[in-house]
Amino acid sequence: MGGQIWHALKGMLLILASIGLAGCRTTSVPGPESATTTPTPEPLVFTYPGEDWGYPSPFARDPRGPGYVRMSLLFDTLTWKDESGVVPWLAESWEMSEDGKTWTFDLRRDVRWHDGQPFTAEDVAFTFAYIREHASEISWSGEIAKVERAEAIDEHTARLTLSDPIAGPHSNLFGSVPIIPKHLWEGIEDPVKYLAPEALVGTGPFTLDTYSKEEGLYIYQKNTAFWGGAVAVDTLVFPKVQDTAVALQAGKTDMASFSGNEITVVKQIEPDPGYAVLPGPSFWVLQVILNTKRAPFDELALRQAVAHAVDRQRIVDQVTQGGAVVANLGIVSPSTEWANPNLPGYAHDPDKAKQILQEAGLENQAVTIIQSGWDREAELIQADLEAVGLQVTVKSADRATVDGLLKEGRFDMAISGHGGIANPSTLRTPAWPATTYENATYDALFAAQSVEMDKPARRAQVWELQAILAKELPVLALYHPLMWVVYEADAGITPFYTAEGIAGGIPIELNKLIFLER
Amino acid sequence: MGTKAIQTLLTLLTLVSLNFFLPRLMPGDPLSYLDNNDPGTDSAMLLTEEMRSQLLAYYGLDRPLGEQYLRYLGGLLRGDMGWSIYYNAPVWNVLWGRLKWTLLLVGTATAIYVTLGSVLGAFSAWKRGTPADAGLLVATFALGSWPSFFLAMLLVIAFGLHWQLFPVGGARSPYLLDASRWEKARDVAYHMVLPVAALVLTQFSGVYMLMRNAMLGVLGEDYIRTAYGKGAPERRVLFQHALPNALLPVVTMIAMRLGFVLMGSMFVEVVFAYPGMGTMIREACMARDYPMLQGAFLITMLFIMACNLAADLLYGFLDPRVGPSGAREVRSA
Repeated sequence: MGGQIWHALKGMLLILASIGLAGCRTTSVPGPESATTTPTPEPLVFTYPGEDWGYPSPFARDPRGPGYVRMSLLFDTLTWKDESGVVPWLAESWEMSEDGKTWTFDLRRDVRWHDGQPFTAEDVAFTFAYIREHASEISWSGEIAKVERAEAIDEHTARLTLSDPIAGPHSNLFGSVPIIPKHLWEGIEDPVKYLAPEALVGTGPFTLDTYSKEEGLYIYQKNTAFWGGAVAVDTLVFPKVQDTAVALQAGKTDMASFSGNEITVVKQIEPDPGYAVLPGPSFWVLQVILNTKRAPFDELALRQAVAHAVDRQRIVDQVTQGGAVVANLGIVSPSTEWANPNLPGYAHDPDKAKQILQEAGLENQAVTIIQSGWDREAELIQADLEAVGLQVTVKSADRATVDGLLKEGRFDMAISGHGGIANPSTLRTPAWPATTYENATYDALFAAQSVEMDKPARRAQVWELQAILAKELPVLALYHPLMWVVYEADAGITPFYTAEGIAGGIPIELNKLIFLER
Repeated sequence: MGTKAIQTLLTLLTLVSLNFFLPRLMPGDPLSYLDNNDPGTDSAMLLTEEMRSQLLAYYGLDRPLGEQYLRYLGGLLRGDMGWSIYYNAPVWNVLWGRLKWTLLLVGTATAIYVTLGSVLGAFSAWKRGTPADAGLLVATFALGSWPSFFLAMLLVIAFGLHWQLFPVGGARSPYLLDASRWEKARDVAYHMVLPVAALVLTQFSGVYMLMRNAMLGVLGEDYIRTAYGKGAPERRVLFQHALPNALLPVVTMIAMRLGFVLMGSMFVEVVFAYPGMGTMIREACMARDYPMLQGAFLITMLFIMACNLAADLLYGFLDPRVGPSGAREVRSA
């Protein structure tokens, strides 16, 4: 009988194998070499795992970071950032009027669009006017609303007039608005639904060769006429992979990024001399939002007791395996100069937490935690809070559900995370909803720092904002996950992390500068 | 015939309405994905309340639900399935982009497992009680009880990683840009081997079991004895007398199953990062992309209804006792 089973299995395996071998023999090495007709010089193909982040036009792309990055390979901005800060890009230099409201840009003269047309100040003026006009259809930097007038002074000089001063080239505005060609976009009514190939004509170092939405596949070819020097990579491929670590080790991708508890993967690959590891900053925060607008967390004492009760270091050690750092209670990334280093620490101290609760008469409070995907963190927090006498219920749901409850303010405690924390503007965003905390002093201070032109003065205000947060605790920041880029040492590309993130603070190592010969 | 048409129309309208209202009953809205991000996929621009309401207005989501519903029905009548918010593309374009891969993958797998299941099931029944039958039965039970995603993962680990015989995921190689049509087709087939194997191995037991049971039932019938009695050779009894009769329940089952084919391969698609319908529906659901969900459910629904209709018609064809009008009676019995 056993022999019969084996026979049946063998039969099935043979059928499968025969199907398999037919394909296997022919395309087992689907490398770039087999696809090209001219073997010398061998084109450099660089591969990075990804997924679908939308059609990479400035308006149709996915509004989140990776969507921006895919678009930024095709389009250029007035300024850009490298590893140490802002660098001139389409604008060679700029001048600000005394009141900080008028900005004049001297543009590069040698720039051409992918279709060969010359790039001029008309394009810059058109871009800002066009984006303002279509602000209702696209999610864009809020600062675009400050642009009152955009004009071309001469062929290579553009001027922007703002309603309020902005914090200079450090603002997201000049460094994140992609300049689009007037001759192609003029007359396009709905930019979001404009998906023609012309919607991808930019001035950037690459052109798009292939995009497959369902496969999440992007293939870029280098722009041989790029104004900013030679492009080091001939073909740039973003294939979709199911497991990044597997794809990297199987040689299917040249570079991949990891974060948080993926530190175990990084440690496993690190000893291999074929790979190099670039440790990154932390531009992301996981936090517990405490709803100060309803009982029981309207009590400051309860919020402070929670801060003492929760062992944040244990969460870092056990959940992230050490792949994170305990968070700055002022939320702003500790990798930047904006983070206030002198905040109260709320050391893990269950006895003190109990004492605070007792003094405030808040023992045995029943609280609920809502969360999506942070089960381990929720478990540990629940245990910590129960140890000081609170009654804790954890409710898990999918992300949109938790998000809906957050927006409506229907929760006690919510575990939630967000990025953008390299930039002080993170201190007042919808990611940390206005529905849960109100403080007029805080809001006034936030408004003041966003127009402060003097950096040390602005930093002082930003530090003050964080001091208020750490004292009032409308949110308990848990940890900042760390990031790593692992790349093939001989791939010819050396990645770096952009100072304060790409454009408005995107913590991705795919800055287009790494693909240029600098 | 008139009542049947009205029935079908009413069914359609009910289902379309459910498709419209059910996704909207979930908490959250289609914009929630925008300002909610993972470490490493951070948003460059966060939504202010003002931008939010502007976007809601842009997608018409600020209008009364009744108006949205009528607009949706009006669009459907004009053949317009709407615009996907999450994918930012016409719903039909996204659907077709996914549908073709799922149809290819599941179509191939279904053809293989139906053939394999029917042949082996018939063979097993024919050889009932022998070691061959017992062996097949045990092996089928063993394979059929594996969750498809688990088997898929094992296949990835063994053939994709360890022996590196097949790709670990995707539907085609991203590099074959200048390859010939033939090379591209071979590449697609090569990528299909493991997911098809996972589907076949986990799905074929159902067909096998049903075929074996149906065949066992048929083999006990009088007309089989009669066939033997008039001296028909064994092969002929099997293929001309027993098999067509045993196929009846199998055809019904296959038609019913085909209806769920569009959604059913989701787990396997996810494991192999295959760009099919299953992964898309999951994403659209997480993103609360109402127009996309409406479109996906509509297509699935039409597909299921078409398959049921096909089963009705095929049944009448395979079994002359059941006329086209009698089909309903038999199925409801």
